[in-house]
Amino acid sequence: MAAQPLDLLQGTLDVLVLRTLAWGSMHGYAVSRWIHERTDGVLEIEDAPLYKALHRLERAGWVSAEWGLSENNRRARYYSLTSAGRRQLHSRELAWRRYAEAVFKVLEPA
Amino acid sequence: MTTGIPRRARFFRFPWRSAKQIRADVDEELRFHLDMRIAALVAAGIPPDAARTQALREFGDLDDARQYIGAVDHDIEAAQRRTDFMNDLWTDIGYSLRKLRAAPLFTLAAVVTLALGIGANTAIFSVVHGVLLDPLPFPQADHIVRFRFTQQGHGDAGTPMDLVDNSTRTKSFVGISVIEGTTANLVRDNAEAERVLGVRVSANYFSLLRSTPAAGRYFATGEDQTGAANVAVISERLWKQDFSGDKSVIGKTVNINAASYKIIGVVPEAQIFPMTADIWMPKIWDPGDLSDQSRGARWLAFVGRVKDGVDVKVANNEVEKLSEATEKQFPEQFRERRARIVTLQDFVVGDVRKPLYIVLGAVALVLLIACANVANLLLVRATSRESEMAVRTALGASRTRLVRQLMTESVLLSLVGAAVGLLVAKLAMHELLGRAAQTLPRVDNVSIDGVTLAATAAVAVITGLIFGVAPAMQAGKHELATALRAGSRGTRTRPGANRAKQTIVVAEVALAVMLLTGAGLLLHSFVKLLDVDPGFRPDGVLSMKMTLPEQAYDSTAMRNLIQALETRMAALPGVKSAAIANFIPFDGSSYDFSLQVRGQTYARPSDQPDVQVREVTANFFSTIGIPIVRGRAITATDLASAPRVLVVNQAFAKKYFPNENPVGQALHLDWGKDPDGAMSEIVGVVGDVHGATLEDAPDPTVYASLAQYPYRTLTIVARTNGDPAALTVPMRNMIHELDHLLPVYSVQTMTERVAGSVGPQRFYASLIAIFASVALILAAVGLYGVIAYAVSQRTHELGVRVALGATGDRISRMVVGEGLALTAVGVVVGLVASIVGGRLVASLLFGVSAIDPLTLGSVVAVLAAVAALASWLPARRAGRVDPLVAMRGD
Repeated sequence: MAAQPLDLLQGTLDVLVLRTLAWGSMHGYAVSRWIHERTDGVLEIEDAPLYKALHRLERAGWVSAEWGLSENNRRARYYSLTSAGRRQLHSRELAWRRYAEAVFKVLEPA
Repeated sequence: MTTGIPRRARFFRFPWRSAKQIRADVDEELRFHLDMRIAALVAAGIPPDAARTQALREFGDLDDARQYIGAVDHDIEAAQRRTDFMNDLWTDIGYSLRKLRAAPLFTLAAVVTLALGIGANTAIFSVVHGVLLDPLPFPQADHIVRFRFTQQGHGDAGTPMDLVDNSTRTKSFVGISVIEGTTANLVRDNAEAERVLGVRVSANYFSLLRSTPAAGRYFATGEDQTGAANVAVISERLWKQDFSGDKSVIGKTVNINAASYKIIGVVPEAQIFPMTADIWMPKIWDPGDLSDQSRGARWLAFVGRVKDGVDVKVANNEVEKLSEATEKQFPEQFRERRARIVTLQDFVVGDVRKPLYIVLGAVALVLLIACANVANLLLVRATSRESEMAVRTALGASRTRLVRQLMTESVLLSLVGAAVGLLVAKLAMHELLGRAAQTLPRVDNVSIDGVTLAATAAVAVITGLIFGVAPAMQAGKHELATALRAGSRGTRTRPGANRAKQTIVVAEVALAVMLLTGAGLLLHSFVKLLDVDPGFRPDGVLSMKMTLPEQAYDSTAMRNLIQALETRMAALPGVKSAAIANFIPFDGSSYDFSLQVRGQTYARPSDQPDVQVREVTANFFSTIGIPIVRGRAITATDLASAPRVLVVNQAFAKKYFPNENPVGQALHLDWGKDPDGAMSEIVGVVGDVHGATLEDAPDPTVYASLAQYPYRTLTIVARTNGDPAALTVPMRNMIHELDHLLPVYSVQTMTERVAGSVGPQRFYASLIAIFASVALILAAVGLYGVIAYAVSQRTHELGVRVALGATGDRISRMVVGEGLALTAVGVVVGLVASIVGGRLVASLLFGVSAIDPLTLGSVVAVLAAVAALASWLPARRAGRVDPLVAMRGD
């Protein structure tokens, strides 16, 4: 039996979405697949919170959205990072790394 | 796929989304996701049904997500609209500024016009706000009331018992205080005697006003009872002026009317009431005052405070009912006597409310005319901007967008005008308030403050919308193809635009007619007023007053002083003749008593006639220039030892002795100075004089001998052949030599007194006249602009006419005729409006009807002349059109 998927820490999803979009503009489904593949399913993220995060980030001005054509010629909503989003990603990444390092320092045997 | 262009710099804009579109977009996005996922799972070999179930499970709470996303998108959309609006606004403002800068002459003309219009409105509104609207500076000032008494419809005053009745037999009042005006001869140690206005009030007076002293304390309960020590409260201005604002003044003793008073407190500048008062002293009643016998003597004013939570109307009902009951109870003393209350604010500013609102109305009309002029300027400009608009339409600007941009331009123009207008207002108010001090109460409270600034901004925006709307709608209506085809020179005027301009000019002329009519009526009635014969000869007469304090002058001392003054005055170089009276015409006094004519009986005391009484010395009539009609004047022989005599005026003779010779008849004045039943003989009849104003008919008046009835208030009149003002110093010195503690006040020539009585009429008439002149100029400029523009647009047509044989004269006449036709329509509309609106000013007029034909005729003549001139200038140019040039130019 596989290990239980980890619950996401508060705000982690935002960082993951921002990081994903740093690769370029993509629609919600692509973001979902990207995160899923990159985490090898360890972080089993439902799509509902993901979409909520995308729109929330759009409201915050970190992500912009535009309708475009998908690879199979359907109308899809494409998201991309704004420059404010890029700055936000940078500072959140730093914070996250510092947080993780601190946690590791505690967990690792001295 | 991304464009990489940041949101703010987007070249075009997605149309705004409705709530329904947002929901559809959310659904489409989520459906796309699920379809993609299902397709991927099916491709991996999972049967479609299972794939669908798995996709939905992986998604989580679909409905919750839909709702959440919908709400978030709604926020995003709203924010976007705001941003777009602001962006457009900034774009429009930037564009408008460039456009306005590019047309400096137009901008200057519009800004100056608007600055005049808006500035005048700001100035007048500041006055209306400061005087009428701003509450009096007391807590819950709307519950402070003043009593008003009338008897048989005429103004009346209160008695001590009215105060007792209203204080004890009503439930609506916190309390009521008396206000009794008095003059105070104030003497500080080592200083000149000074005469200040004072009032005697009940001890509760300041607590009713809820005033807080600037220093010291106010009267305590009981300080208005017999036997209490003499205490006084002074005004902040007296405190600063006489005691340099030193707190140690509290507890100091000053000499008031030759008695010692301890100063206990200072009233802050803002809360000085009555506004002319400088000293407040407790009113201590004589025991005789507080009895039913004293109900006939009426001279007092009252203020009261209605309890919080009780409607002033309810209190008023109570007061009215009580006054009816009192009248029934004492029919001897009262006849149709009523009391009611008005708020203190109404009492203070009630008289100027109507004239001020009329002035505000006049200045609003001026602004409307200014709007009309600017609208016309904009219409002319719109014609030259048609190709600009066409190009912008071709580039995708919607009509609403163009209209919005033009409206932004108008409002911006208006705001610039308002900013300059504030300077105009500042200057105007300086002039205005200097002249208004005699006419308007509370002028100190007038300033350009937050409220007036906000009002100005609001007026500016509304003004911009008003004058901008017609031109903007015109501009939005043009036809793209026609406009572009006509090329860069702009298009030929469409009939619609011309009609708009003509309508505006007609409106302008009509408004100007209304203002000119109003100004004409006020000026005409002012002239009529000045034509009224006051009944005496004011030129060459100087007057001044003094009040003899009780403690220093008994009746013998008063007689001696009066005699000494008479002798010394007559001896002064330059004085042709001099006399003394207690009160004189136009000094704002009223001194009236009831009387009994010998041989007549009266059922009740309240049936007795009421007359004005004046006490005068010999030479009074000749000095002031009142003619003796019959019998003799009061002479030097009418001394204390001689029999009492009276002189009456013609109004008195006509009213009470219509068919008899009044000389030889006898009267008894109920003024308590003669033994009961004693009769004084009428020895002469003199001409009528207007007592207080030129408007009111002269009152029946009785003159008595001052030597027989010495009085504490003395008014000296001296006639000279030269400049009466030059007598001021010698007269003052002479009085100072007789009693250096006696202050002299109210020094004025009689000409000044008469002129002062028409001050309000002069003030309002000149204000309206100024506005009317501005209106006339603006209307003339507007008419000129429209005719001149029409001529310039018709150069071609006129050229053809000349080529076909029309003479220059004929062309000029035709153009002038068109201008006059427009004017005629405006004049007719304006006259109708003036006649309808004439009722508004009717109550301000004197001797002139609101539809005075002379005034209306003059207005028509003036406008016709101005219109003819305004059209003749462009007409002359039209008459000189060279057909060759005109036709080649097209």
